[in-house]
Amino acid sequence: MSDTPAVQVKSLVKDFRGAFGRGMIRAVNDVSFEIASGEVYGLIGPNGSGKSTTMKALLGLVTPTAGICSIFGRDSTKVDSRQEVGFLPENPYFYKHLSGEETIRFYGKLCGMKGAVLRERTLELLKLVGLEDARKRRLGGYSKGMLQRIGLAQALVQDPRLLILDEPTAGVDPIGSRQIRDLIFKLKDRGFTVFLCSHLLEQVQEVCDRVGIIHKGSLVREGRLDDLIAIEDQTEIVLRNATPELLKRIHALAANEEGVELVRSGNPRTTLERLFLRETIQRDSGKLNPVQAIWEQREGDSK
Amino acid sequence: MKEKKSPAPPEKTPRWAEGAYEKAGTGEGLSTTPHITPLFSFSRIGIIAGNTFMHLMRMKIFYFLLVFVLIWLGLNIFKLPHTAGPESVGAEELRLLKAPLVGTMKLFAIIIGIVATALLIPRDVEDRTLYTILAKPVPRLDYLLGKLFGVLLLILAGLFVMTLLLDAVLAYRTQIILSDFEQVGRVLVEQQQWSQKDFDGAKVELLSHGVTWSLQAAILVIFFEAAIIAALALLVSTFSTSTLFTVVISTLVYFIGNFIADGLDHFRSSSGIGEGTLNELAAKVLFAPFPDYRPFKISDEVIAGQIFPPDILGSLALSTGLYVGLYVVLSWFIFTRKEI
Ligand SMILES: Nc1ncnc2c1ncn2[C@@H]1O[C@H](COP(=O)(O)OP(=O)(O)OP(=O)(O)O)[C@@H](O)[C@H]1O
Ligand SMILES: [Mg+2]
Repeated sequence: MSDTPAVQVKSLVKDFRGAFGRGMIRAVNDVSFEIASGEVYGLIGPNGSGKSTTMKALLGLVTPTAGICSIFGRDSTKVDSRQEVGFLPENPYFYKHLSGEETIRFYGKLCGMKGAVLRERTLELLKLVGLEDARKRRLGGYSKGMLQRIGLAQALVQDPRLLILDEPTAGVDPIGSRQIRDLIFKLKDRGFTVFLCSHLLEQVQEVCDRVGIIHKGSLVREGRLDDLIAIEDQTEIVLRNATPELLKRIHALAANEEGVELVRSGNPRTTLERLFLRETIQRDSGKLNPVQAIWEQREGDSK
Repeated sequence: MKEKKSPAPPEKTPRWAEGAYEKAGTGEGLSTTPHITPLFSFSRIGIIAGNTFMHLMRMKIFYFLLVFVLIWLGLNIFKLPHTAGPESVGAEELRLLKAPLVGTMKLFAIIIGIVATALLIPRDVEDRTLYTILAKPVPRLDYLLGKLFGVLLLILAGLFVMTLLLDAVLAYRTQIILSDFEQVGRVLVEQQQWSQKDFDGAKVELLSHGVTWSLQAAILVIFFEAAIIAALALLVSTFSTSTLFTVVISTLVYFIGNFIADGLDHFRSSSGIGEGTLNELAAKVLFAPFPDYRPFKISDEVIAGQIFPPDILGSLALSTGLYVGLYVVLSWFIFTRKEI
């Protein structure tokens, strides 16, 4: 099972014809990569670089001009390959006439689920994405972030082994986007494979094992995240309660050493995201324990 | 504070996260799902059809039409004066009541068949709902059939409700007219203006305009016609880029189809030549893409009082099936190649 890669993309090329067959656009140009089972893979790149198109080709939603895509060894152009994959499209819109609960049930039924199993799974998923209270409301009245959450729940409904998430945190508030991040961690622990793309590089950096950078349809860089982002010739020291004297001594030490340069020193800053979390969580502390825990952990680390 | 650090307290994510996925790891959970997706699954088509039906039901247009019909029916009950006339006046009155009502039903069936079908697929594409549906193990044929059957289900349900109302109204009117007729008729027989045979004949004639099996069959034929037009709209919507285009083209094809039906009949009767001539063959080839509505005209004749020949129903059902099948296969052919 772990031998076959979860995702295989071989020399994928996708051309889109313009209006009336004129103006061919090459959206994806000879992209090849593999995602091993259990890995979290992030695809990043500027707008219009072909991220969504790659995902759609992998799901058989667009037919490749050339190349092969497969999921757990099954050709993406075949319906069978969709058994073990959950997909969250960018800006997901579902049937507005359905309630949150009905939506998940609908997609569950499409996957052949029914009865008590489906009913239970639906409630569990609604709980998981924090939409229990809104489950009877029609999707027409959902906010963007709520739609994103219901989209995630829908993708998980048949227990797929692979999740394909196209900008999972777009439009989700910082707390929700933390929760989605935590969820991805949790899924990874349970052996899920996740293929995601996002413009929030900080998050990609946090969750992904490997990343690919796509630019104008070509995969320009690919590899383990740690290898890609490590600045090999720099070392970071974080001190607590350091006296000005100690800092002076360290500066002096560094200055005396041959070839060593002190790049910067000062108080590590909290991010805007953390500030936002602190401000919002203080107003609503009982409800969001996991996030608060993470934040407090962070706070403790950096104090 | 320490215990808060676990990513999620157990009551927040119960078995979904804990049990289900551990089972999945040992191959018990999800991996029990069969890996071969049948191309054609009635339950899956049923789910999509049910969803489509519900979608259409929750759009106000259906209620609007129903209300429209209800008002129409109400007006008909109270407006028409029931004149106790001799012979055929009663029958004529029933016919006058019936024709517009059945006409309204037909209009409903055709409009829903075209508009609802034309609306559904482009909307799924625009809203990206199609992505999420086809990203599940759903063959595109199942999706198309589900959408079509959803529309047909709605038409069938609408026609069914309206038929019940029609039958009720018609039975009520027939009852009143019949009692008047019998009074007048008996007087006529007593005055020896009518023989008993005349009386019986007129009564049969009158009843043939009431609630009859022929009438129900005629309504079924209306449904057949709507099914063909819906399948046609489905085909058009697989390659059209807008709802308006689909509606216009499907309506045009419907009218051309009807026009040809009249035209071909006229052509044959005026030139007096047989079926197999070259001209007719050419006309047939030219108009092949348009459904041949001639056999379906029977429903109009039944409304006018003709008895529905029962043996025709089977062949009409068959040709409906063939047209719908043909259009669905063509739609499928285009739809599988479509970039969505
Ligand atoms: N259906 C389509 N028809 C024509 N061109 C398309 C179609 N879908 C995508 N493209 C083109 O393909 C290119 C890649 O698009 P894609 O949606 O994959 O970008 P992306 O990397 O997902 O961008 P974003 O970050 O904005 O989501 C773009 O130039 C886009 O215009
Ligand atoms: Mg995109």
